[in-house]
Amino acid sequence: MIEVRVQSAVFDVGEEQQRLLEGRHDVGAVVTFTGLVRDFNERPDVEALSLEHYPGMTEAALHDIARQATARWPLDGIRIVHRIGRLSPGDPIVLAMVASAHRRAAFEACDFLMDYLKTRAPFWKKEHTASGTYWVSARDSDAQDAARWEAT
Amino acid sequence: MSLTHLNARGEAHMVDVGDKAETQREAVASGRIVMRPETLAMLAEGGLPKGDVLATARIAGIQAAKRTHELIPLCHVLMLSKVSVDFRLDEAASCVHVESRCRLAGRTGVEMEALTAVSVACLTLYDMCKAVDKDMTIEAVRLEHKIGGKSGEWHRDSDVTPLPPEAPVTLPSAASEPASIRVKFLAELRERLDIADLEVPVETLDKRDVASLKAALQARDPRFAALSEARILCAVNQAMAHDTSLLSEGDEVAFFPPVTGG
Repeated sequence: MIEVRVQSAVFDVGEEQQRLLEGRHDVGAVVTFTGLVRDFNERPDVEALSLEHYPGMTEAALHDIARQATARWPLDGIRIVHRIGRLSPGDPIVLAMVASAHRRAAFEACDFLMDYLKTRAPFWKKEHTASGTYWVSARDSDAQDAARWEAT
Repeated sequence: MSLTHLNARGEAHMVDVGDKAETQREAVASGRIVMRPETLAMLAEGGLPKGDVLATARIAGIQAAKRTHELIPLCHVLMLSKVSVDFRLDEAASCVHVESRCRLAGRTGVEMEALTAVSVACLTLYDMCKAVDKDMTIEAVRLEHKIGGKSGEWHRDSDVTPLPPEAPVTLPSAASEPASIRVKFLAELRERLDIADLEVPVETLDKRDVASLKAALQARDPRFAALSEARILCAVNQAMAHDTSLLSEGDEVAFFPPVTGG
């Protein structure tokens, strides 16, 4: 039902969806979010991104976030894949995929997964730009987005 | 550039290090052993015929680092102040990543020791698992970084992700004191404090909680005042924690900045 992976290799969205749906005919909706590396962020001309994480805790945190989503919505499956290591602009970095009988639950749960992942899973980005290398700062807007789910 | 182990006539000789300054040296080497997914699963579950594979490989690596001078002809005998060997099981790549960190205050680098530790740990993993898998491949044994000495600091510059400075320790480090707490610093905080991990004896804590750990660290070095910044987060045994969270012997405590994944 829940699968989370942390890997340096690229992922294939089609393949992930196929595996999520294998042998199932009761799923009515799959919502997929794919995050990509932008070539601009805190500074323009981002040439690369390196991602560090806290092995062990990362997997546990992603699993916990997925489990919380299943407690809030009627879901049929969740897959989260997060890449680590050095990535270039345009590279896919994160995948959150949710299957449910109906679309509303799948849309909302996918939104929730990403809000919680961005504020609770121990990943850190370092950006390499034409003008230097620096650790990316956490955004207040991400914390506000995650807080939306606390009220409900 | 010239090869320092060859003299003017191209003959091998041991470099005289008597005139070199004593500095704090550190080297980190890594490598991996690729195996079949079933072998990795057996290793993870402890189902292999020769018993506790990782604990044995760790001791083998540490012992090997101490005996490097017996194996590599022109290496000096060193009094290492620290040797650690850590493993990370990687299901995605179906391999075990091995990382060794060696330290000493002395006149020569410790990269040969770190590389030897990784090599012998990999060989021991092979020996422990060969009954079920003979196809295993040892690969990418290499230096990740070295600090200290005339050449200063060197880091591998590559597209391949090095192992995070301290891999998840599946077993307590053989080199560690039993009654201590393992502390890790991650990401920007690690770079700012210039340290990846250390151990704090439990008896140096006033109370067995995170706040007392921060106080003990700050008493050791004022730089650790940074741990009390409101933005710095803390995890105990890989679960989010706070100042009043309780600690006990062998716990792993990590400090890190706000997360920025996704």
